[in-house]
Amino acid sequence: MRVEVLLELNLERRNKMKNYIATILMSLSLLFVSSLASAAAVEIELVIKDHLFFPAEVEVPAGQKVKLRIINQDPTPEEFESYELNREKVIAGNRQTVIFIGPLSPGEYPFFGEFYPKTAQGKVIAK
Amino acid sequence: MFINSVILLLQEILEAALLISVLLVITNLFHDIWGRSFVLRKTWIFYALILGCAGAWLYALVTPTVSEWFDYVGQEVVNSLIHLVSLGFLILLSWVAPSNYFSDKTSQRAQLVIASMVVIVLLALVREGSEILLYLGGVTSQSENVVPVLSGAVIGAGIGLSCGVILYYGLTSLSHTWAFRVCLLLLAFVCGNIASQIVMLLTQADWLPYTAIAWDTAGLLPENSITGRLLYALIGYEATPSILQAVCYGLAMLIIIFGPLFRLAWPGILAKNVEQ
Repeated sequence: MRVEVLLELNLERRNKMKNYIATILMSLSLLFVSSLASAAAVEIELVIKDHLFFPAEVEVPAGQKVKLRIINQDPTPEEFESYELNREKVIAGNRQTVIFIGPLSPGEYPFFGEFYPKTAQGKVIAK
Repeated sequence: MFINSVILLLQEILEAALLISVLLVITNLFHDIWGRSFVLRKTWIFYALILGCAGAWLYALVTPTVSEWFDYVGQEVVNSLIHLVSLGFLILLSWVAPSNYFSDKTSQRAQLVIASMVVIVLLALVREGSEILLYLGGVTSQSENVVPVLSGAVIGAGIGLSCGVILYYGLTSLSHTWAFRVCLLLLAFVCGNIASQIVMLLTQADWLPYTAIAWDTAGLLPENSITGRLLYALIGYEATPSILQAVCYGLAMLIIIFGPLFRLAWPGILAKNVEQ
């Protein structure tokens, strides 16, 4: 009798575990699918020239993922950095790169070039 | 250019110096628990430094090519891989090295520990060093920058290294038990930092889904303040981490804190061994 009860308890526990695992897997796959669904990100170009960003104010749609293509036309490397966007990336001289940002809530997100911070300043404006 | 060079070098060197100091102190502590073979092999740091500098130089050379891989997110992917490997070795260090399997194989234990430490330091140097080299290589291509940038670099590196040395001697001056505890706590922070960096990089590359911001402490402690930058270099402080970053930071810390090495540091096992 006791053994049966124990077995039943055990089964119940196992079922519970299964449920937990299933929920975790489901939510993970949901996360993944949702990331794929929004994969079609808006692409916006940003040029670095003479240690300046063009345009210095980048307008992006709020609430949407944005693919920022940064083209470094200087022969020297630059590091795109933004505390507000949580982004950091070195771009070699005369090369281009891609950084995904957002979805952002409306507002301003300053960024700068860490190698030439005096001149290389800009901000992303999410509207 | 001068101040910028000081700050940049200081930030990068500080991160590596912290890790190296902690690992060196841990080597000393292992000597007290497991015997001489650890101190004999303390020269590991020289191999790690030489290999790390060579690796940093190589990685800086190939960075322009690497960053074009995987549709221009190669840098994120390779960097997160480097982070992942160092995280793996840090976990190896705190979980496998203290295991009973090695109880009568001290020299194998020493080999495992030293090999992991070499890899961890080597990878840290590759990460931080390549960025320094890219910066210096680019900026000094304009001749008017050479003097201010290089002098700034020397000063920044000097301050960073001194902090590492002070930390090392500070930790060695503590009692063995407390040195061990502080080291492992710092190691847990290092692991959390690495885990959160991996998430940040892969989100930036769009390989991981976006998750909302967990909290915003930018008003309390801005990331671009001196304290903020220092904390960023030391424990990976971020004013607005994403939920996934915060979760992975916590998980990585827990893995170290609940590891056997951490438990070894708390119940005073060390004190008994030292007395013997």
